[in-house]
Amino acid sequence: MAGLAAGLGVIWLIGNKTAGPDELSSPQDWLLGWSFIGSGLVALHIRPQNRLGWAMVFTGFAWFGSILLVAHDAPLFTVGAVLQVAYIAGFAYVVVAFPSGRLQSTAERLVIGGALVVAVGVQFAALLFTDTHAIWCTECPDNLLEVTRNDTIALDLREFQRGAGVVVIVAAIALLALRWWRASGAMRRTIAPVLWTGGATLVFAAFAVANEVLYKPLGPEPLRLMLFVISAVPVAILFAFLQRRMARGAVAGLVVELGDPTAPVDLRQALARALGDPSLELAYWYPAESRYVDGQGGPVALPEADGPRLATVVERNGQPIAALIHDPALQHNSELVDSVCAAAGLTLENERLQAELRARLAELQASRARLVEATETERRRIERDLHDGTQQRLVSVAMSLGLAESKLPADAEVAPLVHEAREALTVALAELRELSQGIHPSILTERGLPAALDDLCRRAALPASLDVSLDRRLPTQVETAAYFVVSEAVANAIKHSHATELWIRASIRSGVLVAEVVDDGIGGAGGGGGTGLRGMTDRVEALGGSLTVSSPPGRGTTLRVEIPCE
Amino acid sequence: MRVVVADDAALLREGLARLLVEAGFEVAGLAADAEELFALVERCQPDVAIVDIRMPPSFTDEGLQAAKEIRVRWPDVGILVLSQHVRASYALELLSDGTDGIGYLLKERVSDVEELRAGVERVGKGDSVLDPLVVEQLVGRPRRGNAPLDHLTEREREVLALMAEGRSNKAIAERLFVTEHTVEKHLKNIFGTLRLPPSTDDHRRVLAVVTYLDSQ
Repeated sequence: MAGLAAGLGVIWLIGNKTAGPDELSSPQDWLLGWSFIGSGLVALHIRPQNRLGWAMVFTGFAWFGSILLVAHDAPLFTVGAVLQVAYIAGFAYVVVAFPSGRLQSTAERLVIGGALVVAVGVQFAALLFTDTHAIWCTECPDNLLEVTRNDTIALDLREFQRGAGVVVIVAAIALLALRWWRASGAMRRTIAPVLWTGGATLVFAAFAVANEVLYKPLGPEPLRLMLFVISAVPVAILFAFLQRRMARGAVAGLVVELGDPTAPVDLRQALARALGDPSLELAYWYPAESRYVDGQGGPVALPEADGPRLATVVERNGQPIAALIHDPALQHNSELVDSVCAAAGLTLENERLQAELRARLAELQASRARLVEATETERRRIERDLHDGTQQRLVSVAMSLGLAESKLPADAEVAPLVHEAREALTVALAELRELSQGIHPSILTERGLPAALDDLCRRAALPASLDVSLDRRLPTQVETAAYFVVSEAVANAIKHSHATELWIRASIRSGVLVAEVVDDGIGGAGGGGGTGLRGMTDRVEALGGSLTVSSPPGRGTTLRVEIPCE
Repeated sequence: MRVVVADDAALLREGLARLLVEAGFEVAGLAADAEELFALVERCQPDVAIVDIRMPPSFTDEGLQAAKEIRVRWPDVGILVLSQHVRASYALELLSDGTDGIGYLLKERVSDVEELRAGVERVGKGDSVLDPLVVEQLVGRPRRGNAPLDHLTEREREVLALMAEGRSNKAIAERLFVTEHTVEKHLKNIFGTLRLPPSTDDHRRVLAVVTYLDSQ
């Protein structure tokens, strides 16, 4: 801030001195000079290490210096004469060195060095031989640098300066073009405002020098317009600096937030805040299957390039750890995305490990569910095969025996044997029926859970009340699991509880099937339950459900099963 | 009596047809699914249609649905549904649309030519037939507390079961080797104990009794 105040003081001084002797300086002149000096000072305040600030301040002062040419005072006039075109060199440096403030290549250093030599060195040399009254204007003050008057050398040097100036400016334009051509999309977005305004100015300057426009007093309208454009350059630079500074602030906030061990952080929200993209999504790399998963371990597909969403992959030690799925606008702020990713790297890696764990769990869960489903399918198949095969064949044999029995004379010796065989077959069929219903109750497939539970109640050896409110068929594996758990619980209650009555309830509560078997028995059923119950628990858990038994001694037993249906 | 048979398994269809012929019925046609059955009933106008409960396409309860449709489209045709399962709920569902000429029997039951003949004849006459195992399930079902059914004597329970199977007083008397008068006395007692309105109509009382048994 001190620098800023000092700078403003100097500007005011120069402004006063310039305005004092002459009224010629226009608002555009002031705008241009102050724009460079002010922006330069602010830039220096934001980024003391970046030389662009100094370059902008220099350019601003050099511009004001060139205005001193209109002063009537000899020393001021001489300073103005020396600095007449120095600002062009400063300006070239600012544009070429943006945004790093450093000249990156030999070509850049050559061009900018050449610009300084031509704009200041040659100018100074020419002034040593210039009699201002002879060459420039009759009313001009004396040139204090004049050593000896030599019109030829002075004019030749001026001629050389003009030619070399055009070459240097064109070379600078070529450097900018090259830079643009090589820049990535994100980089182009960053440098575009400065590069285009700066480039346009340089092109104009090349024409101006070539046409000697600069020798004439500031008059033509195009020049005034151009001054506005030039004034925009330092503002554009400052804007770019501030934008990055704000980004750095966001990153700093993120680091603090992630580093706080007392508050668990929603990483997605924190990153969304830091990047200014509320729609941000996170996907974590799951190396076991070479795909991305979300925080819960569910599969995530990264968006296609050029789609409405973009993905930025975060790597650590050359391995992808996560991907940010974000708005394409963020693409042009790649520096911010990179710094945010760097700041969140460790947390992202942690979250990735958790996501991987969840993905593995989900996989395990899915494989359990598949196992149960496969078992179920197999049981259904066996039941159907029994029904369509063995049972039908046995019924057919019973019919044949029945026919034989009918055709035999009542007093035939084998008649009782045939009757006996048919009776035995009937018993076998009854047993087979029980067996096949134990493997898979066909009524479950035919009519669904309510009918199957109703059938269960009818066949129970204790009075059983049924209270079922299901408005739709549930997934087969849910119905089957629920049926077998209830069936097992009913069997247990009848065998062990000394109950006199049973209640079976089933309903859907927010997408979860809740089934209960309650008895009025002695309670005290072991938490572990029988092997049958253990198997049921496995089955229910494979479907993401849970099974609980509450059995206080003397107060009956309640078995409750919950299975998600969605 | 003219009879048609619907069963998707050819083995059972043919076996049943032979038994029916042996029992003295005229087998007017055989069908493999519900659609064939409807066409057959339309063409032959049989006295009784014997229908397997599990048929294509879904192999669940097509037979039951087919029976209901026949009841609506050809009310005079008796329907005997055959099942491999003892399902009181299915039997009740069948009877709920009217007990006249409706039967529900286990498949192996009809391997006995006499049982088959009796079943088909009763359905053909317009009586109802319930498989003894289904009735056993209904009557033998455990009941809570002081159920009226528990106050019946052993003999009365036997009469109740036979009545629920759809048998007439005469048939019950023959079964139990008693006189019809004795059966009537038992029935009076049963209806009194269960607090059911006395009914002499063989058809209606089946539904009343079965519904009572199911609701208690």
